[in-house]
Amino acid sequence: MKVAVVGKGGAGKTTTAAVVARTLSRLGGPVVALDCDTNANLGLSLGLGWDATDELADLRSDLAEGEVEHEPTWSGLVARFGSDAPDGVRLAVVNRIEDPEPG
Amino acid sequence: MAAETAPAPLLRVAFVGKGGSGKSMISGTIVRLLGAAGEPVLALDSDPLPGLAFSVGIPQHDAGLPEEAVVERPEGEDGPRFRLAEDAVTLAERHARVGPDGVRFLQIGKAGSRAGGNQGRSLHAFRHVAAGLDDGPWHLVGDLPGGTRQPFFGWARWARLVLVVVEPVSASILTGRRLARLGQVEGGPRVVAVASKVDGPADTELVAGRTGLPVIAAVPHDPAVAAAERLGSAPLDHDPDAPAVQAVRSLLVSLRSAGGVA
Repeated sequence: MKVAVVGKGGAGKTTTAAVVARTLSRLGGPVVALDCDTNANLGLSLGLGWDATDELADLRSDLAEGEVEHEPTWSGLVARFGSDAPDGVRLAVVNRIEDPEPG
Repeated sequence: MAAETAPAPLLRVAFVGKGGSGKSMISGTIVRLLGAAGEPVLALDSDPLPGLAFSVGIPQHDAGLPEEAVVERPEGEDGPRFRLAEDAVTLAERHARVGPDGVRFLQIGKAGSRAGGNQGRSLHAFRHVAAGLDDGPWHLVGDLPGGTRQPFFGWARWARLVLVVVEPVSASILTGRRLARLGQVEGGPRVVAVASKVDGPADTELVAGRTGLPVIAAVPHDPAVAAAERLGSAPLDHDPDAPAVQAVRSLLVSLRSAGGVA
């Protein structure tokens, strides 16, 4: 099953995604939760805590600033930019990193 | 006494913060309060999702700048690919909608819009118009999209004061903490927090303690605002005496008395 949760800020996307991920995992996973938000907060809703959530986001911004090498493979991304959350959910922060400025 | 008669400086304030924190409610209400006081004010809405038009009370939710607002560099010349077709103040004057209390309202085209045209050019136009309005005759009040992306890519460089709107909940506080870094850039704006949807002083202290930002106002959790938002009405029109609206009024007074830099 592949599910994406979208909507306006504050609508409850992150909470919904986190509860769905942990519920699926309890039902017999495996589950990868992908945080595609440039302001990555999914770790908080999964129960990973402040520090781990922030560390994952920082790791990703280091990539944006060219401080670490890019990860070419899917499994590599989940390993490098991920962390183990409760109920066996694997969280990975995979937001886009390029400058969106047009022109 | 000259000091008392000198005109107060025009505001250049941008609201940022997590989605749903109350940026549009607070910025839209400030815009309307300035307009109602007879002051010239231009609202800058760079959120590709709807929001500020509702809180200002403008029935126009999807009107980005036309792509003719920028012209493309002729083949063979140097310089950036696009530049504004006219000066920013002229473009803002022409394309801003006029709303209640005489407020001006300029927005980017919305995501998923059927308006067509070249979104990239329209976005470029908006960004460069916003950056060129310092000499304009208006107070500038900006409402940025939720999150950290636009603020860190320079969409609020026109602002002298950035107000981070923070609810006393983890995700909003964590976002506020990230946005606080905007103030650590050399020559960057002053960055402060506005505590939003608070249920008492402990909530305000939580926002201050966890974000590390000075909190210059606390807007209470207010059912009147929720009711206005359900109806799609401007909070100021729905209930001008609602506690949250009163708190925004106080915020505006303190912004103005501090010369617009809190």
